Order: sequence, then structure tokens, then C-alpha cells
Amino acid sequence: MLDQFLAGFAMAMRLDTFVLMGAGLFGGMLVGALPGFTTLMAMAILLPISFFLDPIVGIPFLLGVYKGGIFGGSIPAILVSMPGTGAAVATSRDGYALTKQGKSRKALDMALFSSVFGDTASDIFTIFMIFPIAYLVMQFGPPELFAVLLLSLVIIAATSGSSPVKSLIMMAVGLWLSFIGTDPLGGVERFTFGLFDLKSGIPLLPMLIGVFAIPEIAAVVIRNEKVQQLAALMGERLTRKEFKASFRTICRSTVIGTGIGIIPGLGQVVAAMMGYSAAKNASDQPETFGEGNLEGVAAAEAANNAVNGPTMVPLLTLGIPGDNVTAILLGAFVAQGLRPGPQLFEEQGATVFAILIAMVFANLMFLAIGYLSIPFFSRLVRIKTSVLVPVVIMFAFAGAYVFRSDTFDLLMLVAFGVFGLIAKAGKFDVMPMVMGFILGPPMEYAFGQTIAMGNGTTLAFLFDERLAALGILTATPVIGFLLWRRMRSVPSE
Amino acid sequence: MFKTSIKRAATLAAAAGLAVTASLGVAQAEYPEKPITMVIPLGAGGSHDLNARVITSIIPQYLDQAMIVRLTPGSGGQKGTQEVAKAPADGYTLLFTHNYIDMLQQHVENLPYDPMEDFIPIARVNYAPAGVVVRADSPYQTFEDLVTAAKENPNAIRMSHSGNWGAFFVPAAQIMKARDFSLNLVPYKGGGPSMQALLAGDSDVTMGFPSTLGSLLDAGEIRVLATAGAERMFEDVPTLAEVGVEGDIGFMHRVVLAPKGTPDDVVAKLTEAFNALVEDKTFNRMMSRLNETIDLIDGDGYQVMRQEQDLAYKDLVNELTSQ
Repeated sequence: MLDQFLAGFAMAMRLDTFVLMGAGLFGGMLVGALPGFTTLMAMAILLPISFFLDPIVGIPFLLGVYKGGIFGGSIPAILVSMPGTGAAVATSRDGYALTKQGKSRKALDMALFSSVFGDTASDIFTIFMIFPIAYLVMQFGPPELFAVLLLSLVIIAATSGSSPVKSLIMMAVGLWLSFIGTDPLGGVERFTFGLFDLKSGIPLLPMLIGVFAIPEIAAVVIRNEKVQQLAALMGERLTRKEFKASFRTICRSTVIGTGIGIIPGLGQVVAAMMGYSAAKNASDQPETFGEGNLEGVAAAEAANNAVNGPTMVPLLTLGIPGDNVTAILLGAFVAQGLRPGPQLFEEQGATVFAILIAMVFANLMFLAIGYLSIPFFSRLVRIKTSVLVPVVIMFAFAGAYVFRSDTFDLLMLVAFGVFGLIAKAGKFDVMPMVMGFILGPPMEYAFGQTIAMGNGTTLAFLFDERLAALGILTATPVIGFLLWRRMRSVPSE
Repeated sequence: MFKTSIKRAATLAAAAGLAVTASLGVAQAEYPEKPITMVIPLGAGGSHDLNARVITSIIPQYLDQAMIVRLTPGSGGQKGTQEVAKAPADGYTLLFTHNYIDMLQQHVENLPYDPMEDFIPIARVNYAPAGVVVRADSPYQTFEDLVTAAKENPNAIRMSHSGNWGAFFVPAAQIMKARDFSLNLVPYKGGGPSMQALLAGDSDVTMGFPSTLGSLLDAGEIRVLATAGAERMFEDVPTLAEVGVEGDIGFMHRVVLAPKGTPDDVVAKLTEAFNALVEDKTFNRMMSRLNETIDLIDGDGYQVMRQEQDLAYKDLVNELTSQ
């Protein structure tokens, strides 16, 4: 094992590996920063390039695109409140609040440092614990997934910005919106009113841009919120003291993110939200979260990046991709003649370690690339409002459209924009709605699977075979109640 | 003998003459004069996506134009399919789909298009034969063991599959129908999670394509009970036909379709390009690395298979939904 590790270390130390990894990181960051373009698309398009490269070059290149893309998504989330993916939603909350206070550069720095820390720690953890993780992954089936998703929703509702009742209303709205379209299990149409456009459900991206970006753009235009006057303060970078103050939060989020990465089917969205909720719950001043707390950015970004390491494990140990990103990596592996699966470590141990080690180096490289490019990105906010607003509106519409190239999505964008404005006026937090919408479908699917597995005797099935899931389900109301009481004891907005 | 070859030569000459006049007729705008879009009605990262990336990175050599992949997932493939059905029949918008989306869905729900009326096949690029799989420590040593156990305890054996009306659900239903037994079918989101459920012990049986079976089989994690196809995939594993399940069952055909009404010369040009593609060395190398077969059938040949699928799926759906 150790000799393979060392051989892998030697293999990874190649100039071309680093050059292409850097190119991948930078390209991924640019693509991720454009709303509407996903990291996944970028990886799929670049996949054939990796076919013609050496495995130790081609796969780190794709990994670079992936890692760069995740961070790239937090750039528009922080600067213009336009999260391009569910994973960046939690970041945009405090990130954009910081931008409004003229601290966008600090927010971007914090996002970068916590991303890199969370990613590196989880990668190193994965390298050393790959076989225990592989065992743990197997313990999570549909019943456990359902229980964990339900618990996540309860935690999000209990710790969100508005009152618990308002949060629950919004979450119910989100869950209901997720029901629209074809039922994922039975294929029955629900609430579509016979409209074909609604058959595939409401698209996520127009909703995200609509409820998060449009109200903020409107605030700048209507109330003439002075964002640009603070431009002079923009230049300040994150101080060592600020990073230290958030360090506990970053570590906590890294642990949470890594844990969530082990559970197949959860992913970055849940990780970011759980990291954020945990940080808010642990804080002495939970009321400052959402108002521009650097810890909020750190909590979300460390957690969503810490998911990356463990998600590689089923791919490497079983040859089974857990999501679309790992499916593309699987394509890259097999095209290189590496066959992921139980024997990969015996046959190609050194190469696998080389790839894993390259992942760690990709993070360190990204620290440098990100740190050097942040000043350019944060300069964006210094553009005059009269120019910035039209450009942001254009990106909002282009981003909503380009994902599916469907004009229906533009109507959705406008509708959710109006919805977002009304919700803001009524002091309803849209976060629980978005989370209900994103987590509703996987939760429903896992629920349906659990029912199918029990074959009509769900409760007996859970008692017989799935005590862990039953335990989480039983604890959920208690955890929800305790969090709600704690949050109620502090003044909320 | 001599006569027939003269006849053939004459037909060929006539065909060549026709081709020349046809090409003269469109000499000013010879297809393809701009990039061709290939719509995939499925998400990124799936096996269709991977296949398409390989195809579109090599076929431009033979078309002298780029081919662009556009992923349009949604409604189980209907969104992308509808988009191509609506597109002009000029050969610049093609659909890369599979037989279950193409021929099965019309019998399950009302579609905004009619696959037989709106599309013509251009090429079947390859197919993936499914295998019935259990864990290595499973009590079912043979396919017959499984059938016997399932008949004793109907619906008690759990089978994970890749989604309702998908590439494993349909053959499972067809096999159960042919051998008259029933399993408890539990859907998962794709073949990967379904295989993981088997390995984790959440399910007792599943199916898989060769690309995923190989390494797990070598590692001794799984046992294959039967495979689709006329010939044995593994020496000691029977084919479905050998265990009493006859017909075009358990195959996922990857096909390129075009909107109906696409001009003949465009179809001919595309057919020619696909013929050249499957001879291409790089294409063969990349596809074999992806553990994919290459088995080209031209449009006319596949149209016959489509008609057979149409009838078979209609019967199957009627039977399943009438219960």
C-alpha cells in the first residue's frame, strides 16, 4: 500500500499534469461563474480531450474543471446574488450581504479559503480512509436517505431567517412546486393542467435566479440602494484574524460536508445548508447570519466542497458512479484503459493514488489561481450601477434561458422574480422554499422506493431491516423542536 | 449468373446516374453546409452522452462539418424528442435516443408527437445486451433457481432496476411474462445506484450492461445468471433464449433518428458517414475502451426492428397496466 502511494506520488509530479490541471481549474472557474452554464456541461464537452491525454494528465484536467467550476459558482452568488446552482444558495445569502456592505473581496477570499480547506481536508481523509468509507457507503439505502433528507428539511425550516411558521409555509410551497410535472416513480402527470412545458417540472435555474437575483436587482433600481458608493472599501482582503475567527466553523463544516458526501444521493446542496445551519446554531449571534457574516460564507463553502472527496469512493472501489460528475469521470477512466472497480487498486494502485494526490495538489494550485484572480472579479462591483444593472439583468435572462434553450423558462424567471419580490415585502424567507423544491424530489423518490421495498408492509419492513432509518425518523421531531426553541430565544428579524 | 451481374451493373449505373443528377440539383447547397446538432433527450454523463461524445468527435471527418451534442433531458426523454420532431426535416437536427424512449413510451402515455409518423431511423450505432445478475453469495446459482424461488414466493424477491419503463424494467417485465413469475421491482435512479443496491444487499437481483459487469465479475462480487443476445456473452452463462425467453428482449439499441421528410440525399449522406465511422480505427479503439460494441444497422434495417418493437411493447404495456 505504502509503496503504491509513494509510486503514485512520484507519478503525479509532472509538469504537464500541473499545466493542464491549472488550465482546467481556470476554465472551470470561468464556466462556473457564468450563470446557466454548469460544471457538468463543461466536463462533458471537455471529456473527449482527456481521451487523448495520458491518464495522469487527462483525469486531473477534468478534476480541475470540476473543482474550479464549483468555486466559480460562488462568484455570481456573492457579487450579484445569482446562485447558478443549489450548492451556491447558502453562500449567496451572506455573500451578497457582504457585497452590499462593500466587503465583496473579503467574501470571495473567505469562499476561496474555506473551499480549498474543506476540499483538501476531505481529499486527504478520503485517501487514507477509502476502504472504511466504501463500507459506510453501503449502509445507506433509500430508507436512510429519506430519513436524512427529512431531517435536513426540518433543520432548515427551524433555523431559517424568518419565523418557523413562515418557514414551514414557504417550505410547503417549495415541496408543492416540486410535485408539479411527471411523478418520478409512477410517471403520472401532476398539476400540469395538460401543459407540455410543465411536464418535466419547474426548472431550477430560473427559480434560483428569479427569487434570489431579481429582488436584489429591483432593490438597487427602485430604492436606489447605493452599492457602488462603497466601492472604495472593496480593495480590502480577508485578514488573518477574520480567517482565524471562522476557523472553527470551517472545520465543523468540513466534517459535516465529508459526512454528507459519504451518503450517496445527498450531495452539495444538503452539505452547504447543513454546514450553514450548524454554524448559525453554534454561533453566539445567530441573528447576524444573513446580514453579512463571514462565517456564513465560510460554513457553506467549506461544507459543499468537502463533499467532493467521499463522492469519488464508490467510483474508485466499485466502479459505480454516484452522480453525473462521477459518471463523466468513469468515462474518462475507462477510455484510459483504467477499469474502476474492486480490482482497480490491485491492478493500478499507483495510478489511482497519483490521481488522488493530484486532487490534493489541484486544491493548492487553485488557492493560488483563485487568489490572483479575485481582484479582477471583485472589480466587477465597481462598475457604475447604470451599467451594472442592465448587464446583470441580461445575465439573469441569458442564464435562465441557456440551460434548456426554452423560452418557457424566461416566463418562469419573471414569475419567480415577482414571487421573490412579494416574499421579500412580506418578510418571508425564500430559502426554505428553494430547499423544499430541491430536496423534495429525491426525498419523494426515496420514500417511494422504501414503500416498494417493503412491498406493502412499510413499518414492519423498517422494524425488521432498517432500524437506523427508523431511529433517525424518530429523532427528527425532537431535534426540530430543540432547534426551534433555541432559535426562538434569540431575536429574529 | 452472367445475366444477373449485368443487371446489377446496370442498376448500379442507373443509381450512380441518379446520384449524379441529384447532386447536381443541389450543387449550390450541398448538405451539410453548416454544423449538425445531435439532440440527446437524456442528461449529461450517462452512457448515451459518452457514446455521443465519441461519435461527434470523429464523424466530422466524414461529413466535413462539425456535429454538436445538445443535451435536452426532461420528461423521461420526451422533451428532447419533441424538440427534434418539431425541427425542420433538413438533416441539421438529429436525435440520438434508444428503443425504450423511441417505441415504448407511446404506449404508456400521451405524447406530443408520434414516433412512427414523425421520425425515420438513420442508423443504429450499437446495442447493449443486459445480463441478469445476483450477488456472489446469493442462494440462486442458476436462472432456474431464481425462477423457482420466485414462483414459490411471488413478489418476495427484490429486484432493483434503473427506473420505471427503463432499460432494465422492460426486459424484467418481459422475462417475468415469458416465464410466468413475479419479482418485487424497486426503481433506482439509473443503472449505477441499482447495481449498488444489489451489492449493498438492498436488493436480491438486478441487471447490468457488460460495461459495468466486467470488473465486478472479475472481482468475484457478482454472478451472472443469464444474458441477452443470440450468443453467449460468458462461456458458462446461458442466453435468455436458452432459458425460455425468446425475442428482442434485454437490448438497448442506441439509434440516430431524423425528422420524417428528411430528403433522401441527406439520409444517404448521413448513412455513408456512419458507414465510414464504424470503420474508423480511432472510433473502434475508443468505443472498445468504453466497453461498447459497434454494430451498425442502417435506417431501413432498423425500421423493421422498430415495427416489431412497437407491437411487442404495445402488448407488454397492455398486459402490465391491465392488472
